[in-house]
Amino acid sequence: MHAVRKGDVAKLGLLFERYHRPLFDFLARMTGNAAVAEDLVQDVFVRVLKYRATWRDEGRFETWLFRIARNARADYFRSRSLDEPIDEAAGQASHAPLAIDTLARDREVARLQQALMLLREDKRELIVLARYRGMKLEEIADLLGVEVGTVKVRIHRAVKDLRDIFLRLNERPSWNTTHSVGSFPTA
Amino acid sequence: MEHDTLGRLLPDGVDPREADELDATWRLLGAIDAPPPDSERMRARLDAVVDAVEHTHLPARPRLFGSYVLQGLAAAAVLVIGIGIGWFAGSERYAGSERTRPTLTATGPATNAGAASELAAMRSEMHDLREMVSLSLMQQQSASERIKGVTWTGQLDRPSGEVVSALLDALMHDPNVNVRLATIDALEHFASRDDVRRGTIQAVQSQPSPLVQIALIDFMVKTNERESAATLRRIAMDPQANDAVRARAAWGLQQLG
Repeated sequence: MHAVRKGDVAKLGLLFERYHRPLFDFLARMTGNAAVAEDLVQDVFVRVLKYRATWRDEGRFETWLFRIARNARADYFRSRSLDEPIDEAAGQASHAPLAIDTLARDREVARLQQALMLLREDKRELIVLARYRGMKLEEIADLLGVEVGTVKVRIHRAVKDLRDIFLRLNERPSWNTTHSVGSFPTA
Repeated sequence: MEHDTLGRLLPDGVDPREADELDATWRLLGAIDAPPPDSERMRARLDAVVDAVEHTHLPARPRLFGSYVLQGLAAAAVLVIGIGIGWFAGSERYAGSERTRPTLTATGPATNAGAASELAAMRSEMHDLREMVSLSLMQQQSASERIKGVTWTGQLDRPSGEVVSALLDALMHDPNVNVRLATIDALEHFASRDDVRRGTIQAVQSQPSPLVQIALIDFMVKTNERESAATLRRIAMDPQANDAVRARAAWGLQQLG
Protein backbone atom coordinates (compact mmCIF):
# COMPACT_ATOMS: atom_id res chain seq x y z
CA MET A 1 0.00 0.00 0.00
CA HIS A 2 2.95 2.30 0.60
CA ALA A 3 3.90 2.02 -3.07
CA VAL A 4 0.33 2.59 -4.23
CA ARG A 5 0.05 5.66 -2.05
CA LYS A 6 3.26 7.03 -3.56
CA GLY A 7 1.78 6.69 -7.03
CA ASP A 8 2.89 3.21 -8.11
CA VAL A 9 -0.65 2.24 -9.07
CA ALA A 10 0.51 -0.97 -10.75
CA LYS A 11 1.10 -2.36 -7.25
CA LEU A 12 -2.64 -2.30 -6.78
CA GLY A 13 -2.61 -5.68 -8.54
CA LEU A 14 -0.73 -7.18 -5.59
CA LEU A 15 -3.27 -5.83 -3.16
CA PHE A 16 -6.02 -7.20 -5.34
CA GLU A 17 -4.49 -10.68 -5.38
CA ARG A 18 -4.17 -10.66 -1.62
CA TYR A 19 -7.51 -9.20 -0.63
CA HIS A 20 -10.10 -9.69 -3.36
CA ARG A 21 -11.21 -13.08 -2.08
CA PRO A 22 -11.97 -12.03 1.51
CA LEU A 23 -13.62 -8.88 0.21
CA PHE A 24 -15.71 -10.84 -2.25
CA ASP A 25 -16.69 -13.35 0.43
CA PHE A 26 -17.76 -10.55 2.77
CA LEU A 27 -19.73 -8.71 0.11
CA ALA A 28 -21.32 -11.85 -1.35
CA ARG A 29 -22.51 -12.92 2.07
CA MET A 30 -23.78 -9.44 2.85
CA THR A 31 -25.62 -8.91 -0.44
CA GLY A 32 -26.53 -12.50 -1.20
CA ASN A 33 -25.57 -11.84 -4.80
CA ALA A 34 -22.28 -12.82 -6.43
CA ALA A 35 -22.57 -10.43 -9.39
CA VAL A 36 -23.24 -7.46 -7.13
CA ALA A 37 -20.35 -8.54 -4.91
CA GLU A 38 -18.02 -8.58 -7.92
CA ASP A 39 -19.04 -5.07 -8.87
CA LEU A 40 -18.56 -3.90 -5.33
CA VAL A 41 -15.08 -5.42 -5.07
CA GLN A 42 -14.17 -3.52 -8.22
CA ASP A 43 -15.58 -0.38 -6.67
CA VAL A 44 -13.53 -0.97 -3.51
CA PHE A 45 -10.26 -1.06 -5.44
CA VAL A 46 -11.18 2.02 -7.47
CA ARG A 47 -11.83 3.77 -4.16
CA VAL A 48 -8.49 2.55 -2.81
CA LEU A 49 -6.85 4.35 -5.72
CA LYS A 50 -8.99 7.40 -5.29
CA TYR A 51 -8.47 7.75 -1.57
CA ARG A 52 -4.99 6.25 -1.31
CA ALA A 53 -3.62 9.49 0.13
CA THR A 54 -5.93 9.13 3.11
CA TRP A 55 -4.44 5.82 4.27
CA ARG A 56 -2.23 6.15 7.34
CA ASP A 57 0.52 3.68 8.22
CA GLU A 58 -0.53 3.34 11.81
CA GLY A 59 -3.90 1.89 10.84
CA ARG A 60 -4.36 -1.75 9.94
CA PHE A 61 -4.72 -1.93 6.16
CA GLU A 62 -7.36 -4.66 6.16
CA THR A 63 -9.54 -2.66 8.51
CA TRP A 64 -9.25 0.37 6.25
CA LEU A 65 -10.10 -1.81 3.26
CA PHE A 66 -13.19 -3.28 4.90
CA ARG A 67 -14.28 0.20 5.93
CA ILE A 68 -14.19 1.14 2.26
CA ALA A 69 -16.09 -2.05 1.41
CA ARG A 70 -18.83 -1.21 3.92
CA ASN A 71 -19.19 2.28 2.45
CA ALA A 72 -19.22 0.94 -1.10
CA ARG A 73 -21.99 -1.48 -0.22
CA ALA A 74 -24.02 1.19 1.57
CA ASP A 75 -23.61 3.61 -1.36
CA TYR A 76 -24.61 0.91 -3.81
CA PHE A 77 -27.88 0.15 -2.09
CA ARG A 78 -28.56 3.82 -1.47
CA SER A 79 -28.24 4.60 -5.17
CA ARG A 80 -30.24 1.53 -6.16
CA SER A 81 -33.08 2.51 -3.91
CA LEU A 82 -33.34 5.80 -5.79
CA ASP A 83 -33.18 4.37 -9.29
CA GLU A 84 -34.74 0.95 -9.29
CA PRO A 85 -36.22 -1.64 -7.02
CA ILE A 86 -33.80 -3.95 -5.30
CA ASP A 87 -34.53 -7.50 -6.23
CA GLU A 88 -32.31 -10.40 -5.46
CA ALA A 89 -29.43 -8.17 -4.59
CA ALA A 90 -31.04 -7.14 -1.35
CA GLY A 91 -30.50 -10.62 -0.14
CA GLN A 92 -34.06 -11.77 -0.29
CA ALA A 93 -33.68 -15.43 0.08
CA SER A 94 -36.83 -16.29 -1.82
CA HIS A 95 -34.82 -15.34 -4.91
CA ALA A 96 -31.92 -17.50 -3.92
CA PRO A 97 -31.09 -20.15 -6.44
CA LEU A 98 -31.65 -23.64 -5.73
CA ALA A 99 -29.55 -26.65 -5.12
CA ILE A 100 -32.21 -29.19 -4.54
CA ASP A 101 -31.34 -31.66 -1.87
CA THR A 102 -33.64 -33.68 0.29
CA LEU A 103 -31.24 -34.31 3.12
CA ALA A 104 -32.41 -32.85 6.38
CA ARG A 105 -29.15 -31.11 7.11
CA ASP A 106 -29.12 -29.41 3.74
CA ARG A 107 -32.62 -28.13 4.37
CA GLU A 108 -31.52 -26.90 7.74
CA VAL A 109 -28.53 -25.09 6.28
CA ALA A 110 -30.75 -23.58 3.61
CA ARG A 111 -33.15 -22.28 6.22
CA LEU A 112 -30.31 -20.85 8.21
CA GLN A 113 -29.08 -19.04 5.14
CA GLN A 114 -32.59 -17.78 4.57
CA ALA A 115 -32.66 -16.58 8.15
CA LEU A 116 -29.29 -14.89 7.77
CA MET A 117 -30.53 -12.93 4.79
CA LEU A 118 -33.67 -11.95 6.66
CA LEU A 119 -31.66 -10.73 9.62
CA ARG A 120 -31.22 -6.99 10.02
CA GLU A 121 -28.27 -5.78 7.99
CA ASP A 122 -26.08 -4.52 10.84
CA LYS A 123 -26.57 -7.79 12.70
CA ARG A 124 -25.81 -9.83 9.60
CA GLU A 125 -22.65 -7.82 9.15
CA LEU A 126 -21.44 -8.69 12.64
CA ILE A 127 -22.02 -12.37 12.06
CA VAL A 128 -20.29 -12.30 8.69
CA LEU A 129 -17.27 -10.49 10.07
CA ALA A 130 -16.90 -12.73 13.11
CA ARG A 131 -17.97 -16.10 11.70
CA TYR A 132 -16.79 -15.99 8.10
CA ARG A 133 -14.02 -13.42 8.08
CA GLY A 134 -12.70 -14.65 11.40
CA MET A 135 -12.07 -11.10 12.56
CA LYS A 136 -10.98 -10.64 16.14
CA LEU A 137 -13.27 -8.74 18.46
CA GLU A 138 -10.77 -5.90 18.60
CA GLU A 139 -10.68 -5.65 14.82
CA ILE A 140 -14.46 -5.58 14.56
CA ALA A 141 -14.59 -2.94 17.29
CA ASP A 142 -12.05 -0.85 15.38
CA LEU A 143 -13.94 -1.25 12.12
CA LEU A 144 -17.28 -0.27 13.63
CA GLY A 145 -15.85 2.37 15.93
CA VAL A 146 -17.22 0.83 19.14
CA GLU A 147 -15.87 -0.86 22.27
CA VAL A 148 -15.06 -4.57 22.37
CA GLY A 149 -17.72 -5.08 25.05
CA THR A 150 -20.30 -3.53 22.75
CA VAL A 151 -19.30 -5.88 19.97
CA LYS A 152 -19.83 -8.86 22.28
CA VAL A 153 -23.28 -7.66 23.28
CA ARG A 154 -24.23 -7.03 19.67
CA ILE A 155 -22.98 -10.44 18.55
CA HIS A 156 -25.05 -12.02 21.27
CA ARG A 157 -28.17 -10.18 20.11
CA ALA A 158 -27.45 -10.88 16.47
CA VAL A 159 -27.07 -14.63 16.94
CA LYS A 160 -30.12 -14.70 19.17
CA ASP A 161 -32.22 -12.93 16.54
CA LEU A 162 -30.82 -15.19 13.86
CA ARG A 163 -31.79 -18.26 15.84
CA ASP A 164 -35.31 -16.88 16.41
CA ILE A 165 -35.82 -16.31 12.69
CA PHE A 166 -34.34 -19.71 11.94
CA LEU A 167 -36.72 -21.44 14.37
CA ARG A 168 -39.69 -19.58 12.92
CA LEU A 169 -38.74 -20.74 9.44
CA ASN A 170 -38.45 -24.30 10.74
CA GLU A 171 -42.01 -24.08 12.00
CA ARG A 172 -43.34 -23.56 8.51
CA PRO A 173 -45.01 -26.88 7.66
CA SER A 174 -44.59 -27.06 3.93
CA TRP A 175 -41.32 -25.41 3.37
CA ASN A 176 -40.24 -25.99 -0.16
CA THR A 177 -36.55 -26.64 -0.50
CA THR A 178 -36.62 -25.43 -4.07
CA HIS A 179 -37.05 -21.96 -2.62
CA SER A 180 -34.43 -22.17 -0.03
CA VAL A 181 -31.23 -24.04 -0.53
CA GLY A 182 -28.61 -21.64 -1.21
CA SER A 183 -25.58 -20.75 -2.95
CA PHE A 184 -25.82 -17.24 -4.37
CA PRO A 185 -27.46 -15.62 -7.35
CA THR A 186 -25.00 -14.55 -9.97
CA ALA A 187 -27.04 -11.91 -11.72
CA MET B 1 -11.95 -19.82 10.43
CA GLU B 2 -10.91 -18.58 13.79
CA HIS B 3 -14.29 -18.40 15.54
CA ASP B 4 -15.67 -21.87 15.06
CA THR B 5 -17.31 -21.67 18.44
CA LEU B 6 -19.30 -18.77 19.77
CA GLY B 7 -18.41 -18.93 23.47
CA ARG B 8 -15.53 -16.45 23.55
CA LEU B 9 -17.49 -13.90 21.55
CA LEU B 10 -20.37 -13.67 23.98
CA PRO B 11 -20.48 -11.28 26.91
CA ASP B 12 -20.21 -12.58 30.45
CA GLY B 13 -23.34 -13.75 32.19
CA VAL B 14 -25.13 -15.41 29.31
CA ASP B 15 -27.16 -18.38 30.49
CA PRO B 16 -25.16 -21.56 29.71
CA ARG B 17 -28.14 -23.31 28.13
CA GLU B 18 -28.81 -20.36 25.88
CA ALA B 19 -25.12 -20.16 25.04
CA ASP B 20 -25.18 -23.82 23.95
CA GLU B 21 -28.21 -23.24 21.72
CA LEU B 22 -26.65 -20.21 20.13
CA ASP B 23 -23.41 -22.07 19.66
CA ALA B 24 -25.25 -24.81 17.74
CA THR B 25 -26.60 -22.15 15.39
CA TRP B 26 -23.16 -20.60 15.14
CA ARG B 27 -21.62 -23.95 14.18
CA LEU B 28 -24.29 -24.56 11.57
CA LEU B 29 -23.43 -21.22 9.99
CA GLY B 30 -20.12 -22.81 9.01
CA ALA B 31 -21.97 -25.04 6.56
CA ILE B 32 -23.14 -22.13 4.40
CA ASP B 33 -20.85 -21.79 1.43
CA ALA B 34 -20.20 -18.64 -0.53
CA PRO B 35 -19.40 -18.87 -4.24
CA PRO B 36 -15.81 -18.37 -5.35
CA PRO B 37 -15.11 -15.09 -7.15
CA ASP B 38 -14.34 -14.99 -10.86
CA SER B 39 -10.86 -13.71 -10.10
CA GLU B 40 -9.69 -13.61 -13.71
CA ARG B 41 -12.53 -11.43 -14.88
CA MET B 42 -12.26 -9.16 -11.86
CA ARG B 43 -8.52 -8.79 -12.37
CA ALA B 44 -9.04 -7.87 -16.04
CA ARG B 45 -11.43 -5.10 -15.05
CA LEU B 46 -9.03 -3.81 -12.43
CA ASP B 47 -6.10 -3.87 -14.88
CA ALA B 48 -8.13 -1.70 -17.25
CA VAL B 49 -8.57 0.84 -14.48
CA VAL B 50 -4.90 0.76 -13.49
CA ASP B 51 -3.87 1.09 -17.12
CA ALA B 52 -6.07 4.15 -17.56
CA VAL B 53 -4.74 5.79 -14.42
CA GLU B 54 -1.13 5.09 -15.35
CA HIS B 55 -1.64 6.67 -18.74
CA THR B 56 -2.99 9.84 -17.22
CA HIS B 57 0.08 10.08 -14.98
CA LEU B 58 2.81 9.69 -17.57
CA PRO B 59 4.60 13.04 -17.64
CA ALA B 60 6.19 12.64 -21.08
CA ARG B 61 3.05 11.77 -22.93
CA PRO B 62 1.39 15.20 -22.85
CA ARG B 63 4.31 16.78 -24.70
CA LEU B 64 3.89 14.31 -27.53
CA PHE B 65 0.31 15.36 -28.01
CA GLY B 66 1.09 19.02 -27.63
CA SER B 67 -2.36 20.22 -26.81
CA TYR B 68 -4.04 19.89 -23.47
CA VAL B 69 -7.40 19.20 -25.07
CA LEU B 70 -5.94 16.28 -26.98
CA GLN B 71 -4.42 14.92 -23.80
CA GLY B 72 -7.82 14.87 -22.16
CA LEU B 73 -9.38 13.16 -25.15
CA ALA B 74 -6.60 10.60 -25.27
CA ALA B 75 -6.97 9.79 -21.60
CA ALA B 76 -10.72 9.45 -21.98
CA ALA B 77 -10.24 7.16 -24.97
CA VAL B 78 -7.86 4.95 -23.01
CA LEU B 79 -10.42 4.75 -20.23
CA VAL B 80 -13.26 3.81 -22.53
CA ILE B 81 -11.27 1.28 -24.53
CA GLY B 82 -9.72 -0.33 -21.48
CA ILE B 83 -12.93 -0.68 -19.56
CA GLY B 84 -14.83 -1.68 -22.68
CA ILE B 85 -12.42 -4.54 -23.36
CA GLY B 86 -12.62 -5.68 -19.77
CA TRP B 87 -16.37 -5.47 -19.79
CA PHE B 88 -16.72 -7.32 -23.06
CA ALA B 89 -14.33 -10.05 -21.98
CA GLY B 90 -16.19 -10.29 -18.71
CA SER B 91 -19.55 -10.57 -20.46
CA GLU B 92 -18.26 -13.38 -22.65
CA ARG B 93 -16.90 -15.26 -19.69
CA TYR B 94 -20.04 -14.59 -17.72
CA ALA B 95 -22.23 -15.92 -20.53
CA GLY B 96 -20.10 -19.06 -20.66
CA SER B 97 -20.42 -19.65 -16.96
CA GLU B 98 -24.17 -19.11 -17.16
CA ARG B 99 -24.50 -21.83 -19.79
CA THR B 100 -22.63 -24.34 -17.69
CA ARG B 101 -24.43 -23.59 -14.43
CA PRO B 102 -27.20 -26.14 -13.94
CA THR B 103 -28.95 -24.71 -10.92
CA LEU B 104 -29.68 -21.26 -12.20
CA THR B 105 -33.19 -20.14 -12.81
CA ALA B 106 -32.21 -17.00 -14.70
CA THR B 107 -33.90 -16.53 -18.07
CA GLY B 108 -34.07 -13.79 -20.70
CA PRO B 109 -35.29 -10.91 -18.54
CA ALA B 110 -32.80 -11.79 -15.85
CA THR B 111 -30.01 -11.70 -18.42
CA ASN B 112 -31.19 -8.29 -19.58
CA ALA B 113 -31.26 -7.12 -15.99
CA GLY B 114 -27.72 -8.41 -15.63
CA ALA B 115 -26.60 -6.48 -18.71
CA ALA B 116 -28.30 -3.34 -17.43
CA SER B 117 -26.60 -3.82 -14.11
CA GLU B 118 -23.23 -4.21 -15.86
CA LEU B 119 -23.88 -1.06 -17.86
CA ALA B 120 -24.83 0.88 -14.75
CA ALA B 121 -21.73 -0.40 -13.01
CA MET B 122 -19.61 0.65 -15.97
CA ARG B 123 -21.10 4.13 -15.95
CA SER B 124 -20.45 4.38 -12.27
CA GLU B 125 -16.86 3.28 -12.79
CA MET B 126 -16.40 5.86 -15.54
CA HIS B 127 -17.67 8.54 -13.22
CA ASP B 128 -15.36 7.38 -10.45
CA LEU B 129 -12.44 7.29 -12.82
CA ARG B 130 -13.08 10.82 -14.00
CA GLU B 131 -13.20 11.96 -10.40
CA MET B 132 -10.05 10.06 -9.64
CA VAL B 133 -8.18 11.52 -12.61
CA SER B 134 -9.32 15.02 -11.63
CA LEU B 135 -8.26 14.62 -8.04
CA SER B 136 -4.93 13.06 -8.99
CA LEU B 137 -4.12 15.86 -11.39
CA MET B 138 -5.09 18.47 -8.82
CA GLN B 139 -2.45 17.07 -6.47
CA GLN B 140 0.40 17.41 -8.96
CA GLN B 141 3.30 19.78 -8.37
CA SER B 142 3.02 21.38 -11.78
CA ALA B 143 0.49 24.21 -11.92
CA SER B 144 -0.49 23.32 -15.49
CA GLU B 145 -1.29 19.76 -14.36
CA ARG B 146 -3.41 21.13 -11.54
CA ILE B 147 -5.29 23.33 -14.00
CA LYS B 148 -5.99 20.24 -16.08
CA GLY B 149 -7.35 18.50 -13.00
CA VAL B 150 -9.58 21.45 -12.23
CA THR B 151 -10.88 21.54 -15.80
CA TRP B 152 -11.53 17.78 -15.81
CA THR B 153 -14.11 18.29 -13.11
CA GLY B 154 -16.29 19.93 -15.76
CA GLN B 155 -16.93 16.43 -17.12
CA LEU B 156 -18.64 15.34 -13.94
CA ASP B 157 -22.40 15.48 -13.81
CA ARG B 158 -22.74 14.93 -10.11
CA PRO B 159 -19.38 15.41 -8.42
CA SER B 160 -18.78 13.94 -5.00
CA GLY B 161 -18.29 16.19 -2.01
CA GLU B 162 -14.60 15.37 -2.18
CA VAL B 163 -14.24 16.90 -5.64
CA VAL B 164 -16.07 20.07 -4.63
CA SER B 165 -13.98 20.26 -1.45
CA ALA B 166 -10.81 19.88 -3.50
CA LEU B 167 -11.92 22.71 -5.79
CA LEU B 168 -12.72 24.98 -2.87
CA ASP B 169 -9.44 24.07 -1.23
CA ALA B 170 -7.59 24.97 -4.43
CA LEU B 171 -9.48 28.26 -4.61
CA MET B 172 -8.46 29.13 -1.07
CA HIS B 173 -4.96 27.75 -0.86
CA ASP B 174 -3.41 27.03 -4.25
CA PRO B 175 -0.29 29.20 -4.55
CA ASN B 176 -0.78 29.73 -8.29
CA VAL B 177 -3.16 32.48 -9.42
CA ASN B 178 -3.97 30.74 -12.70
CA VAL B 179 -5.07 27.60 -10.86
CA ARG B 180 -7.31 29.66 -8.62
CA LEU B 181 -8.82 31.42 -11.63
CA ALA B 182 -9.45 28.08 -13.34
CA THR B 183 -11.11 26.86 -10.16
CA ILE B 184 -13.62 29.71 -10.27
CA ASP B 185 -14.60 28.70 -13.81
CA ALA B 186 -14.98 25.08 -12.70
CA LEU B 187 -17.08 25.99 -9.69
CA GLU B 188 -19.63 27.70 -11.93
CA HIS B 189 -20.92 24.23 -12.83
CA PHE B 190 -21.74 23.62 -9.19
CA ALA B 191 -22.87 27.10 -8.19
CA SER B 192 -26.19 25.86 -6.90
CA ARG B 193 -24.52 23.98 -4.06
CA ASP B 194 -24.54 25.63 -0.64
CA ASP B 195 -20.93 24.75 0.11
CA VAL B 196 -19.82 26.35 -3.15
CA ARG B 197 -21.74 29.54 -2.42
CA ARG B 198 -20.35 29.75 1.09
CA GLY B 199 -16.83 28.90 -0.08
CA THR B 200 -16.71 31.55 -2.77
CA ILE B 201 -18.05 34.25 -0.44
CA GLN B 202 -15.39 33.31 2.08
CA ALA B 203 -12.70 33.24 -0.60
CA VAL B 204 -13.41 36.71 -1.95
CA GLN B 205 -12.58 38.19 1.44
CA SER B 206 -9.34 36.30 1.96
CA GLN B 207 -7.86 36.32 -1.54
CA PRO B 208 -4.48 38.01 -1.77
CA SER B 209 -4.79 38.43 -5.55
CA PRO B 210 -6.97 41.30 -6.88
CA LEU B 211 -7.38 39.37 -10.13
CA VAL B 212 -8.94 36.43 -8.32
CA GLN B 213 -11.07 38.72 -6.19
CA ILE B 214 -12.46 40.41 -9.29
CA ALA B 215 -13.10 37.03 -10.92
CA LEU B 216 -14.97 35.95 -7.79
CA ILE B 217 -17.08 39.09 -7.80
CA ASP B 218 -17.95 38.41 -11.45
CA PHE B 219 -18.80 34.82 -10.44
CA MET B 220 -21.21 36.10 -7.81
CA VAL B 221 -22.89 38.45 -10.23
CA LYS B 222 -23.13 35.76 -12.88
CA THR B 223 -24.66 33.28 -10.47
CA ASN B 224 -26.82 36.01 -8.94
CA GLU B 225 -25.47 35.27 -5.48
CA ARG B 226 -27.46 37.69 -3.34
CA GLU B 227 -26.03 36.33 -0.11
CA SER B 228 -22.73 37.89 -1.13
CA ALA B 229 -24.14 41.45 -1.00
CA ALA B 230 -22.97 42.12 2.55
CA THR B 231 -19.47 40.92 1.73
CA LEU B 232 -19.30 42.99 -1.44
CA ARG B 233 -20.49 46.05 0.45
CA ARG B 234 -17.76 45.55 3.02
CA ILE B 235 -15.10 45.26 0.30
CA ALA B 236 -16.45 48.30 -1.55
CA MET B 237 -16.08 50.36 1.62
CA ASP B 238 -12.73 48.93 2.71
CA PRO B 239 -10.01 51.56 2.28
CA GLN B 240 -7.36 48.85 2.47
CA ALA B 241 -8.75 46.99 -0.54
CA ASN B 242 -7.29 47.33 -4.02
CA ASP B 243 -8.94 50.20 -5.94
CA ALA B 244 -9.97 47.99 -8.85
CA VAL B 245 -11.43 45.43 -6.48
CA ARG B 246 -13.39 48.09 -4.60
CA ALA B 247 -14.76 49.46 -7.85
CA ARG B 248 -15.70 45.96 -9.00
CA ALA B 249 -17.37 45.18 -5.69
CA ALA B 250 -19.44 48.37 -5.98
CA TRP B 251 -20.39 47.39 -9.53
CA GLY B 252 -21.29 43.91 -8.32
CA LEU B 253 -23.56 45.35 -5.64
CA GLN B 254 -25.40 47.38 -8.27
CA GLN B 255 -25.81 44.30 -10.48
CA LEU B 256 -27.22 42.24 -7.65
CA GLY B 257 -29.70 45.01 -6.91
